[in-house]
This record gives sequence, structure tokens and C-alpha cells, in this order.
Amino acid sequence: MEQNSIPSSKVERAMRFVKTGAQIGGNYIKHYSKKMVDPSLSREELHEDNATDVYNALSELKGSALKVAQMLSMEKNILPRQYTNKFQMAQYNAPPLSGPLIIQTFIKSFGKAPQEIFEQFNMKACNAASIGQVHEAILNQKKIAIKIQYPGVAESIKSDLRMVKPIAFRLLDMNEKELEKYIKEVEGKLLEETDYELEYKRSIEISEACAHIPNLVFTKYYKEYTSKRVLTMDWMEGLHLDDYLKTNPSQEERNRIGQAMWDFYDIQVHELKSVHADPHPGNFLMQENGKLGVIDFGCVKEIPEDFYYNYFALLVNELLEEPGIVKKIMTQQEIINANDTKEVQQIITDAFLKMTKLLATPFVEPSFDFGNNEYIDKIYALGEEVSKMDELKKSKEGRGSQHALYINRTYFGLYSILNVLQAKVNTGERDWKTALFNYHKPQLSAVS
Amino acid sequence: MKDQIISTYIKQCLETGKVPSNVYAFAKVLDMEEKDFYTYFSSLEAVEMTIFQYWFQQVREQTEKSEIYAGYSAREKILAIYFAWIEALKGNRSFVKMLFDRKQDHFPMPKFPHFLKLLRHDFIEWANSITNEAIGSKEIEDRKFLSEKYKDGLWMNFFFVMNFWLKDDSPNFEKTDVAIEKSVNLAFDLMGKSPLDSLFDFGKFMFQNK
Repeated sequence: MEQNSIPSSKVERAMRFVKTGAQIGGNYIKHYSKKMVDPSLSREELHEDNATDVYNALSELKGSALKVAQMLSMEKNILPRQYTNKFQMAQYNAPPLSGPLIIQTFIKSFGKAPQEIFEQFNMKACNAASIGQVHEAILNQKKIAIKIQYPGVAESIKSDLRMVKPIAFRLLDMNEKELEKYIKEVEGKLLEETDYELEYKRSIEISEACAHIPNLVFTKYYKEYTSKRVLTMDWMEGLHLDDYLKTNPSQEERNRIGQAMWDFYDIQVHELKSVHADPHPGNFLMQENGKLGVIDFGCVKEIPEDFYYNYFALLVNELLEEPGIVKKIMTQQEIINANDTKEVQQIITDAFLKMTKLLATPFVEPSFDFGNNEYIDKIYALGEEVSKMDELKKSKEGRGSQHALYINRTYFGLYSILNVLQAKVNTGERDWKTALFNYHKPQLSAVS
Repeated sequence: MKDQIISTYIKQCLETGKVPSNVYAFAKVLDMEEKDFYTYFSSLEAVEMTIFQYWFQQVREQTEKSEIYAGYSAREKILAIYFAWIEALKGNRSFVKMLFDRKQDHFPMPKFPHFLKLLRHDFIEWANSITNEAIGSKEIEDRKFLSEKYKDGLWMNFFFVMNFWLKDDSPNFEKTDVAIEKSVNLAFDLMGKSPLDSLFDFGKFMFQNK
């Protein structure tokens, strides 16, 4: 299925959804009429039919609707992995801004045209960012990059989400209240991305806190030329991951970059409790001297305290061995519910622990080779297996806290980048493990 | 003096919430004899018309003197004027809204409000020169009979944008920016070479050579 035509108008997009809705409805009818003839027919086939239709509709969609659908389907594994991967780079698609509109945006933001502010300003965009476009300019004889957002993006996100909701209920077979919390989470993040002033604030916070990490580079932002829809920063040189790998960097250099990336996430998650939650290759630039440049702080997930202590407790071996603690964590994380039967609770817990142990492997060893494809394949295979579990499929409730949505995505992205980079990283002993252990220690002694 | 009459008129409208009832009453506010008022304007409507005409002149002067404007294509020139126009109206939104809201009483039929008469005249003159320029640069197609209507089409477009802006409740009137961008692009695509031209051309050929 190629993504060659992009329906752009709202009506057209809405039509796509209506069509998909009808098709899914049709699949149900097909399913039940077939089932009357052949009772042994499983829901498997129905799910497959649905996933294919959904994928066909989605691949013609761009923008936030796609991003939401993608994230939700990743969570419930409704779309086969191969499909979700194709959506990784989902982007808001808008026609480029005209020259006069660029000037208008500047005048609204700063009261001046860009030509009056900068020594040089290239009216032709050099790059399309996800919700805006990037222009090159010269300020104080320095090359800078200016990101300008398309007008009306926030509005468009809201209306896209209104369209995706009814479909999502059907698709994920989840009740409205449960789904709402996930949609709220994604919507909140997408809307935050449209606020460049917030992005500026976060980039300063995170880059200051991570300044001491070796081989990690941040760019300088200009507050006076930043507004809700304009973000000005120093131009960052470097290559995107694909192009970088074409230059055949040495293993040593790849490890160095991988290490910088790992440490960057480690400090954000465990110290700042606020993380750059969009680790896709487009947000990083590899520099010649084996340094890693970070750009784009649009998507930052703040990690609530009690979520943190329960989610990451599963990375501490001593805690994992204590059933009482595990049950408490599973409940807090909303992975098992009070109204599940004992057996269901047990099955889900076992599956989850299996998954967690696998995902936690890099944290357990002192160093880990992400170049090991076998490991990544194993994650995929297990994910597929878990998604096919009847206990999970039948559940009308969402499993897992809404906060896990972005955290899971962050680690998923991080692992895949490190895998592509084929880097070997020191992951082992970190102080935060002690803090996590101490947090749960009172309960530990209570049970034993 | 004309400037002063205009600014007093706007101020009077905004502060009292209604337009002055007649020239006599307004001349009094100006501290002026009624007959002296007529040396500047023939009626209160004439003041209103002149306000919009005057703003449009200012917008054109300011926009056209910038260096970037000279390098623009016709499409961009139109966009630039529209953006600047809405920007200029922003400072007087309450006044403009008042006049537009009032028009319902005077014109039950959906016609262009009277107070835009001079603006319309100047705009169409300007639109004519721009469309001619665009035809010259092949940005849009020269079509028999239709070409003369381009300028009127642009006026409809311009009037639509103003109305859109008056109803726009998005912060910073962001939606108006989108409306301008999209409607001008549409207008240009409609005026530009389209498959219909080729179809018409082909149809004509077939008709003549069947």
C-alpha cells in the first residue's frame, strides 16, 4: 500500500474515516454471517480484516489523526508490528507557508519582518519539520535556524481527534471511559508540541541538566526571537543517522555516540523525571568528532513520582522476586484490575514479567550490545505473542497506565536507534536502582 | 482637518456605541458650524466611505514600499496586501464590527455595504493592475470575457476575508491567516491554467473538425 495521495481537506479526511467505519462494520457482518455457517471461525480473522482496512485508511491519512491512531494501536497491538513501523515517522502535512504569511507570522510575534531582525533571511524553507518549516538565517554573523509553525495546527489536531475517536472505540474494542484517558494523554502531548515557548523552556531545562554528559551537544536558543509559533536557534551541523552510517564510522565512534544517547535518557528519566519522548532518528544529528547533537524538544513527557517508582521498580531484580510487591506494582500500573479473576491476573502477570525481564536485559548487564539483532527480534516476537493472548484481547479495559504510553514509546525508540547504530553501551550499575529499592523496602520487610 | 474629522468620528462612534444621528449633531461635537463641515464631507456616509478608502491607501503605501514586495509574484503581492489590510483593521476592530453589524438595518438585501463603496472602487482598480501583471507573467490565464471578471472575483474574495475575520474567534486571529492563505491560493488556482482550458480547447477543435 503506497502513501501516494494525501487527502487534505477536512471533509475528505472525514470521508476516509466514515468509509473505514463502514468497512469495519461490514467486516463484523461478514464475520457473523460466516460464523453462522461455520461456528469454528475465530475472531482472529475478523481482527485481521479490520487491521488491513484500518491500515489502508490510515496510510492515506497524515497528521495528528494518524499519530494518535498509531500510538493507540501500538498500545493494544491491534496493527501488526510491520504496519506500525511504517507509521513511525507520521507527520503533520501542510502546504508550505507563503512568503507574505511568514512575514505576517513574524510581525504578529515580534512586530517586525524577519528581514529587519536578521542580517540575512532565506525566504525559501530548507526543511519541513513535523508541524512547521525551517528557515536558514544569519544573526550576528552566525548561521541560525528558525522553525515557523503552520497556523491553525492546534485546531486541526483537535478536529482530527474528534474524527478518530469513534473509530478508535470500534477498533480497539475498549469502553469509552478507558479509551478517553489514553486519548487525553496523546492529545495533551500533541497540543504541547504546538507551543514553541514551552519547547524553548524545556530545551533549556533539559540541556542545562544534561550539559555534563560527555559527547552530547545542545544548540543555543534565542529567547527574544521565540514565540508560540516561532523558534530560533543556532544552526546545528551534523548528519542524520542514515547518512552518518553511510560514512562508515568506526565501532568505537558508534559506541561513543550510543553511550551519549543512553546517558542522556538515563539522566532524564531517573534524575529529571522528564524525558524527551520522541527518540526518532530525525531528532538527532551525528557530528564528525563522534558527538551527538539533540534537536527538537517538542515532545517531553513529565513522569509522575508514584508512576516512576512503580514502573521502574521492575528493573530491580530484588523487587521482581517478591510476589507481594509485584502484585502491588501491577495494580498500581493498572495492568491487572480488581475485577479480573485470579487466573486471569496470574496469566497476565506472568506474561508481563516475561516481557519486562526481556526489556530490562540491557539494565541488568554491566554493558549491552544493542547491535545484537537477535535481542531486538526477540522483543518483536514476544510482543506479537503477548498481543495474541486471549486474556488481553477480550479485556474491554485498557491495560497499563496512560503514562506508560510515552515511556514505552521512548524506550522502544531508543532501543531501535541504538540497534541501527550497532552500539555497545555501558548500562550497568546506576545509583537510581538503590533509590528504587529503598522506596519499596518497607513493604519488602513487611511481606517477608 | 479631514484627518481630525475622521478620528473624531471613529472616537464618537466607539464611545457612544452608535453613529452620530445627523451632521448637525456631529458638527457640534467637532465644535464646528454645520455648513463648514460640508466643505470637507458631503455627508456622514461620505466620512465612513473615506475612512476605508484612506486605510486602504495607507496599507498599499506601506506594503508597496518594502523591498521584499517588489520581488513578489502577483499571488504573493495579493497575500501581502490582505495580511496588511487585516492587520490595519485590527486596530479598529470594534469600529469596523459596529459598521458591519449595522448594515443589516439599512440593507436587508445581501449587498455590499454602502460604506465600502470607495474602498471597493480603489480595490478593484488595484486588483485590475495586479491581474494584468499576473496575466503578463503567465501566473494566470488570459481568458476571453472571463479575464475582465477576475478583479470582481478578487473583490468577493477580499470581502469574504473581511467577513471571516469579523467572525473569527481564534486567538490572534490565526484562522483568518489560514483563510487568507487558502482562499487566495484557490483564487489563483482557479484563474490559472486548468484542465478545463484544455478541455474547452479540445472541444472547440472537435466541434470545428468533426
